[in-house]
Amino acid sequence: MKWTRYLRSWEFALFVLLLLELAVLGLVNPVFFNLENLLYSTLDFTHILFAALPLTLVIITAGIDISGVSVMGLASITLGLVWVAGVNVFVALAVALLVGVLAGAFNGFFVSRTDVNPLVITLGTLFMFAGLAQGMPALLDKLGFKAYGSAGLAAYQYEGITGLPDAFIALTEGSLGVVPYPFLAVLFFALVLSLLLHKTRFGRYLYLIGVNPKAAAYSGVPIRRVLVWAYVLSGFGAALAGVMLTSYFTSARADLGGDALLPIITAVVLGGADILGGSGTILGTLLAGMILGFLRQGLLALGVTNDLIQVVVGSLLILAMAAKQLLHVYGEYRLKRKALSSKDGR
Amino acid sequence: MKPLLRSREALVTLLLVLLVVVTGLFNPNFFKPDSIVEIFNASLTLVLISLGEMFVILTRGIDVSVGATAGLAAVVLGTTLNLGWPVGAAALAAVAAGTLAGALNAFGVTFLRVPPIIMTLGTLGIYRGLMRIITGGSWIENLPQSIKEPNLWSFLGVPFFVWLTLALLALTAFVTLRVRLARYFYAVGDNEAGAYLLGLPVRWTQFAAYTLAGTFAALAAIVFTSQIGFVSMNAADGFELKAIAANVLGGVSLTGGVGTPVGAAIGALFLTAVHSMLIFLGVPGIWDNAFAGIILLVVVYVDYRVRSALELQRRQARIRGDAGGGA
Repeated sequence: MKWTRYLRSWEFALFVLLLLELAVLGLVNPVFFNLENLLYSTLDFTHILFAALPLTLVIITAGIDISGVSVMGLASITLGLVWVAGVNVFVALAVALLVGVLAGAFNGFFVSRTDVNPLVITLGTLFMFAGLAQGMPALLDKLGFKAYGSAGLAAYQYEGITGLPDAFIALTEGSLGVVPYPFLAVLFFALVLSLLLHKTRFGRYLYLIGVNPKAAAYSGVPIRRVLVWAYVLSGFGAALAGVMLTSYFTSARADLGGDALLPIITAVVLGGADILGGSGTILGTLLAGMILGFLRQGLLALGVTNDLIQVVVGSLLILAMAAKQLLHVYGEYRLKRKALSSKDGR
Repeated sequence: MKPLLRSREALVTLLLVLLVVVTGLFNPNFFKPDSIVEIFNASLTLVLISLGEMFVILTRGIDVSVGATAGLAAVVLGTTLNLGWPVGAAALAAVAAGTLAGALNAFGVTFLRVPPIIMTLGTLGIYRGLMRIITGGSWIENLPQSIKEPNLWSFLGVPFFVWLTLALLALTAFVTLRVRLARYFYAVGDNEAGAYLLGLPVRWTQFAAYTLAGTFAALAAIVFTSQIGFVSMNAADGFELKAIAANVLGGVSLTGGVGTPVGAAIGALFLTAVHSMLIFLGVPGIWDNAFAGIILLVVVYVDYRVRSALELQRRQARIRGDAGGGA
C-alpha cells in the first residue's frame, strides 16, 4: 500500500516522462543513447537548474523571485571585475557568490518587512541588479580604473571580460568519469536543498508559510527570518548559475542569463510547485528542469529552430498547467460525489 | 497633506515634478517645450501598454506577455504593409492580432484556469517565437512612407499620436469611473467571491481585461512602428515588466481593485522621463534600469510605510473613540 503512493506521485510521473523522452529522442537520434554525450549536453542547461532549485523554496512560501536572471549577470560581472583587479579567480568566485547572497538578502529584507507583493519587489531589484551590472564597468572606467581587461572598453562591450584563467574554465570543462562537474554540483545542490526542505524544521516552516501565513505567525514561526533565508538561497543559486555560465562561456558579462526567466519558472512549475504556495519538491524541479533541458537539446539536434522551441516550451507549460487544473477540478468533483453517495448509503 | 500622501498618483506626480525641476536647474535646456514634447512622445508606447495592463491588474491578475503581444502586432503590421495593404487595413490587422493574442491569454486564465503568471509567461514565449517564425528572424524594413506619415502630423505643436493617446486616456478614465460595466473590473479584483455572489459575470470580466490588454498592446505597436519606421525582433522587449512597474508606481495595486488609468499613465510617463532626465544630467543610458528599479523600490516602500502609519493612526483613533463611548 505504502509504495504505491510513490507510484502515483507527480515526481514519479515526471521520472517516467523523462525516461520516455530520452527513449524517443534516442530512437530518433542514437546520439542520445550515448551516456557521455547525454551528460555533456546538460552543460547547456545546468544554469537553469542552479537557479530553479532554490527558487522552488521561494515559490513554496507563496513568493516569487524574478530577479535571479539579473543576479546571474551581476555575479558574472563581479567575478570578472574582482579578477581584473588582480585577485585570485577563486577568491573572485567567492565574492561573486557573496554578491548573490547579499542580493537575495536584499530581496528577503523587503519581502519580509513589507506587505508588498514579492513580484513587485523582485521586479524592482531585477531592474536594479541589471542596471548595476551594466553600469559598473563604465563607472569604474570613469573613475580611472581600467576594469574591463586589457582589450579596452569597446572590446569589453562586445565580448565581456575575457582571458579568465584555465583553472577557472576547467570548472565546467572537467568531469568526474563521465559526469561533468557542473552537473555533479547541481545534484549535490539538489540533495542539500532537498534535505533542507524535507528533513528540517526550516523546510516545514516554508510549507506552513505558503499554506497559511497567519497560522504560521500564530504558531510562532519566525516568518521574517525564514523568508529572508529562502530568498538568500535563491540569490545564491542564481549567483552559482552566473558563475557557471561565466566559466562555460569563458567570459564575464553583465547580460548573462537574460533569457533564462521563462525556462526557470517553467521548470519549477512543471516540477509540481504551486505558484500560490504550499506545495512543491526539489526532486520535481530537478526532473522537470532535465525534461525541459533535454527536450531543447533534442529539438535542436533535430534541426528545430530556437524560435519554434520557444513556442513548444511555452505551449508545454500552459498545457501541463491546464491539465493539472482540470484534473484538480475533476478530483474535487469526484470527492463531492463520493461524499454525497456515502451520505445516501447511511 | 494627508489626502495627498494617501493618493499614490499625487505622490508620484509630486516626485515627477520635483525631478523635472531639479533636472531643469542643472540643465535649462530641459525646460524647452521641445524636450517636454519629446518626453511625452517617447512615453506613448509604454503609456498605451500600461493602460492595457492596468485592466488585468485591476482584476487581480497579471499579464507578462504584453511586450511580446506588442511585438507580434508590430510584425503583423509590418508584414501586411509590405504585402501592399493600405495603412488602415494593416493597422486593423495588427489590432486584431493583438486582441486575439489577448483573448488567448484570457481563455487560458478564465476557462482553463491556468494561473495568470504561468499562462502569460507561456504565451510570452509563444508570441516571441511566432514573431521570429513569421519574419524568419530578420527585421522588417523598407516600410512604406504611409505608416511613418502619422508620426509627423501635429496640432498646436503637439504630435498627433500624443493627442490620440491623451484622447484614449481620457476615454478610459471616463469609462472606468462612470460606466457600470467597467466598474466590474474593480469589483472582481477587490473581491472575486463577492462579485460572483452579486451576480457579476466574473469570468467574462477577466476575459475582457486580458483581451483589452492585447488590444492596447497592438495600439502601442502601431505607434512605435510609425515612430521608428521599422520592426526589430527585439521590439517592445521587456515592456511587460516596465508596464507592471509603471502601474505599481502609479498606484494600481497588484492585490486588485485599486488604481486609475491616469495613475498608470503617470507611472509610465515617470519611467520614460527618468530616462530623458538622466541624459540631460549627463548620466549614461546604461544606468536607466538601476534608477528605475531603485525608484520603484523606494516608492513602494514609502507607500507601505505611509499606509502602515495611517492604519496605526486609524486604529488608535478608534480605540480612543471606543473608550470614550464606553465611559
